[in-house]
Amino acid sequence: MENNFQSTTEYVASEELMASVNVAIALKKPLLIKGEPGTGKTMLAQAVANSLGLKLIIWNVKSTTKAQDGLYMYDTIQRLYDGQFGEEGVDDIARYIKLGKLGEAFESEEQVVLLIDEIDKADLEFPNDLLWELDQMEFYIHETKRTVTAKKRPIVIITSNAEKELPDAFLRRCIFHYIEFPNKELMEEIVKTHFPNVEGNLLKNAMDTFYWIRDMRDVRKKPSTSELIDWINALQIAGIPADKIRAELPFVGVVVKKDEDLETVKHYV
Amino acid sequence: MFLKFFFELRAKELHIGLTEWLTLIDALDQGLCGSSLTQFYYVARMILVKSETDFDKFDTAFAEVFKGAQADEEVTYQMLRWLDKEELTELITKEDRELRHKQNSEDAPIDKEDVETKFKQRLKDQTEEHNGGSFWIGTTGTTAFGNSGNYVGGVRVGGASGYQSAFEVVGARKFKDFRDDRVLENRQFQMALRKLRQFSTRLEIPKTELDIDGTINKTCQNGGYLQIEMQRPRKNAVKLLLLMDSGGTMIPYSRLVNELFQTVSKSNHFKDVKCYYFHNCIYSKLYKTPECENGDWIDTDWMFRNLGSDYKVIVVGDAAMAPEELYSLTGNYRGPNGGLSGYEWLQLLKSHYKKIIWMNPKMAPGNAPWREAETAIKKLLPMYKLTVRGLNEGMKKLMETR
Repeated sequence: MENNFQSTTEYVASEELMASVNVAIALKKPLLIKGEPGTGKTMLAQAVANSLGLKLIIWNVKSTTKAQDGLYMYDTIQRLYDGQFGEEGVDDIARYIKLGKLGEAFESEEQVVLLIDEIDKADLEFPNDLLWELDQMEFYIHETKRTVTAKKRPIVIITSNAEKELPDAFLRRCIFHYIEFPNKELMEEIVKTHFPNVEGNLLKNAMDTFYWIRDMRDVRKKPSTSELIDWINALQIAGIPADKIRAELPFVGVVVKKDEDLETVKHYV
Repeated sequence: MFLKFFFELRAKELHIGLTEWLTLIDALDQGLCGSSLTQFYYVARMILVKSETDFDKFDTAFAEVFKGAQADEEVTYQMLRWLDKEELTELITKEDRELRHKQNSEDAPIDKEDVETKFKQRLKDQTEEHNGGSFWIGTTGTTAFGNSGNYVGGVRVGGASGYQSAFEVVGARKFKDFRDDRVLENRQFQMALRKLRQFSTRLEIPKTELDIDGTINKTCQNGGYLQIEMQRPRKNAVKLLLLMDSGGTMIPYSRLVNELFQTVSKSNHFKDVKCYYFHNCIYSKLYKTPECENGDWIDTDWMFRNLGSDYKVIVVGDAAMAPEELYSLTGNYRGPNGGLSGYEWLQLLKSHYKKIIWMNPKMAPGNAPWREAETAIKKLLPMYKLTVRGLNEGMKKLMETR
């Protein structure tokens, strides 16, 4: 495979994940990534882009985002203003067509990585509205009667927090990968990519405590990778001795965010 | 190719279409699976399965179809990989643990026959392949064996973070917890309840709000002459009535029901939520608190009068009661019957509220003759098991337009 995604110095991917990325590239299908919050879904796209040396275009999906926003916008108001003040070129509609993120990715001369982040935030119909565009990699601008076709097929990575069911027709076209919560070994590797010089005892104690909290049955919001990284960072900066971590739980608020959970954790100390 | 696998997956209720199957064939043609069964497992899974809730079904189907296809070379390759990694990093730190595991595992019973044979096969392969090796190599196998302490587990070497052989993954069934027929938790409740949404934009009500975007758009298209657009207010119009059994037989499910209650009362997207309790079956009184104390109640008739038929009703209960509690006019041993049997009250409830479902945490499959009351209620009201899937089906039922 010419395009081969590997773990980078900033991002540790499991082999399954790397295989998923490479299969998605080879089959020219969008890659759908699901997983617990904080398992690095969004960072994956950055890592893929870095690893392959491509530009990354991020389309952040919000609850109000419509599929059309990603394709293009026809800035009618600007045109109206320009018309009133007799600006040049008002009769050229193409001047008022602004491409969205998807359009940008299609128009790019180089191959790009397109991240459609948190697709489940949008309306239920949102993914369906993109079926044709992602399949054929083209769309049609009615106002100027122009078809925008991808010059180089972008690598599409889509993340979802599983807040909404995605439509079947959409799922059929994707390669699916579920990022599991990393086990201790992988986690150690991940932390070390962030803090190569972390002190061994501190890391071990912090990780043990972290997994201990995660395994508590009555903790509602399980802490995630990014929280562990923040915590270790805080512990390092404050220079907390390793043996105090478990007993005193310094900065535990970085890891445990809910009041109830804080009490539960303190109860067990 | 592998058509048997395709149909086995469909038989396991994985709704795989031709599109995905052809994609998989395409992947095979491109040689993305190499010639390894393990890689085939992962590639097939990432193409065919679109939700972690279905991984377990996929695993079982895979195990059934490819049971005999475990090639020796693959194991060897696998072992070599492990050795590569572990020899370097974990040789010493683990040695003690290995030893202990070895001792434990020799007489450890294993529940599943086929897993056992696989284990043995694996162990055999390993000694054959690395016979001349050091003591450490011998123990790898045992560690893997020992690691499977909880009997469902597969042959997993502690530190193997890369590919595991397909059968280990299948055997481990570690996605079992993701199955959507599992009993629910809070977050999943929230997700299911979110389905209960009916925007007033879709209803036939007058357009009373100014549609700013629409107005601007229309005005611009109109060459700058103002043209007002109106729209329907976008609010959730769903009203919810929750009736919960708080009887003795429900105590094992109290946490579950409590979670459901918490979720419903916290979710702010309903237009209105009302919540009442009953004991075993619904009679002439409904209690305001889960303690079901006499006097702290409302008349069921009052509820009928005051909560209109546009409320959607979810009844939560195990429907576990003696037949006379359901059919007798004096079946309510805790309070008044109100001249009707429990069954008749339920009939009234059904005729008043068009959208009503019964969620049962311990529903028996089919018509269970030994649970007469449950079977009768099942015939009267649509009953679903209180699991992710059940709740989703129930929500669908509530949202049906007739």
